[in-house]
Amino acid sequence: MRAFFLAAALGVTLSAYDAAHLKKALEEKECIGCDLRGANLSKIDFSGADFHGSNLSGADLHESIFEMGDLSDCNLSGANARGALFWKGTMQRSDLTYIHAKSANFKGTHLEQSNLAHADFRGTKSWKANFTEANLMKTDFTGAELGDAKFVRTDLRSANMKNALLWRTQFSASVMSKAQCAQAKKEESLLDNDVVCR
Amino acid sequence: MRAWLIGILLVVGLHAGTIQNDEAFKSAVMSMGGDNKLILMIYTTEDCPECAYMKQKVFHDKMVEPYLSKNFVVIEKNVHKSKLPDGYDFFGIPTMFFIDKAGNKKETMVGSKRAQPFLKELHRIRGIK
Repeated sequence: MRAFFLAAALGVTLSAYDAAHLKKALEEKECIGCDLRGANLSKIDFSGADFHGSNLSGADLHESIFEMGDLSDCNLSGANARGALFWKGTMQRSDLTYIHAKSANFKGTHLEQSNLAHADFRGTKSWKANFTEANLMKTDFTGAELGDAKFVRTDLRSANMKNALLWRTQFSASVMSKAQCAQAKKEESLLDNDVVCR
Repeated sequence: MRAWLIGILLVVGLHAGTIQNDEAFKSAVMSMGGDNKLILMIYTTEDCPECAYMKQKVFHDKMVEPYLSKNFVVIEKNVHKSKLPDGYDFFGIPTMFFIDKAGNKKETMVGSKRAQPFLKELHRIRGIK
């Protein structure tokens, strides 16, 4: 019973978006510092939109387009972003913990200082994405295309890189497992001398 | 009359034309001789790591390269520099078009692929009637 109430309360919290903010987001394709928790924003073209500083935790963004959009300083934890397109967008300092972003497109996306702990990045197209100083604790990059992406000052040891494409991926001042280092070298990644393989 | 002629020339200049009139396509067909190859036309840009991956890595993979050279002629068009033939619009880079000698588009592939799945796709496309 207690668990039920807790779950119900959590559910209310996750979808407690501000209706006026949702209306603004849908009509103007822009909403800065908005409360969009649990909102349905799926399959919509938000190219170039500005959502910086907004709370999109638990929101449904699947198959939406945020091409060159500003999602910096956002909370996207637990959001459903499967198949979404964030091409050349900005997601710096955002909370992407537990985001479901399988097969999403992060080509050229700025993810510097973002928190990707437990994020599902399986099969993403993340060519040239910038993960500088991102938290990658248990991030799942299985089968992700990370060619020419940049990992600077990151700890990748708990991240899953199985079958990830790492051609010309740049690793600098980062900590990696020995298996990850071997994979990176095999895939012709660019590992700086300050990368620690342990 | 002169202005009219200049107008016509400008229109012709801006108009990319059909694939059959594309110089690179015509050269590719010529190079085939009697072989029944397909043309792989890849759209690229200078700042596209996926394009570089396909051109430098996948096309030269030890399994892909022999099959590719035996069955396809590759032509490249930088979308920032080349005129693009009519009917060959793109929604992502790289885009690869597979075209027969007569100029019929047989398949379109968007994005890069690793060598093995790419080779599988080449076999499938080669088999399309």
